[in-house]
Amino acid sequence: MQFNLHRRELLPTDGAVGLASGAGVVLTVLSDLDMAGAPALRQAVVAEVTSGTRLLVLDLTAIDFLDSAGLGAVVGGLRRLRAHDGDLMVVCPEPRIRRVFESCDLDRVFVLHPDVGSAIAAVIAAGERASV
Amino acid sequence: MTPETIPAIELAIPPYPEYLQLVRALVGAAANNSGDRSPLEPGRVADLRLVVSEAATNAVEAQGAVGARDRIVVRCRVADDHVLVEVIDHGPGFDPDAVPDLPNVETPERLRHEFGLGVALMERLADEADVESGPDGTTVRLVIRST
Repeated sequence: MQFNLHRRELLPTDGAVGLASGAGVVLTVLSDLDMAGAPALRQAVVAEVTSGTRLLVLDLTAIDFLDSAGLGAVVGGLRRLRAHDGDLMVVCPEPRIRRVFESCDLDRVFVLHPDVGSAIAAVIAAGERASV
Repeated sequence: MTPETIPAIELAIPPYPEYLQLVRALVGAAANNSGDRSPLEPGRVADLRLVVSEAATNAVEAQGAVGARDRIVVRCRVADDHVLVEVIDHGPGFDPDAVPDLPNVETPERLRHEFGLGVALMERLADEADVESGPDGTTVRLVIRST
């Protein structure tokens, strides 16, 4: 089964007006994120980091299923971005999917944002705090 | 129907990740469509699909590690007050007591653990999670109760 992932650059309409143009990428996952889907997500994150992306927004709004193998790929993505002085933000409004993060205590590692705008606002706020 | 009269559903899958979605669909459908009413609320059906997926993932990994192509068997029985699922593989087996605990979630080491969360999830979300493992394979038995 093919893994469906949609990629786009961050837009001013995401609230990214405070960020440089092309400052980040939104990856929207459209397939189940399990052992079958995790390798494709890993590859996508590697490709983003290799091509210079340092702010990655991973949008899980549309996924129907997440398990520990999928969580592993999300954790790996965060680690990879941070290793390159970047960051990975997670958009996850669905309670059923949030519960998987919570069951592994990973809601203490990731802030689970309700939408892309909220994730970008958090990035801008963190940047402002850092520059004070 | 009494629990004894409800027939078990059995599925034998090739040991590949592409079949995990089928396992989840089967078990979810069995839990949702069990005669008069499902014993589980929707949230618990989601938990059931998750723990079964974890068990089947471990089975696929275990057989993949030794190149065993035997089919993995998933059995599901829906009773009045619980759903029982068994996942049976022909992997090399492991010692369930030797699965290391994960480091504290707030330490940096935690981010090195991309794998190995499955057993912890099964133990947290299932009402019963029993593992019988030997050199000929592993059977994981999961029970989700209605209350």
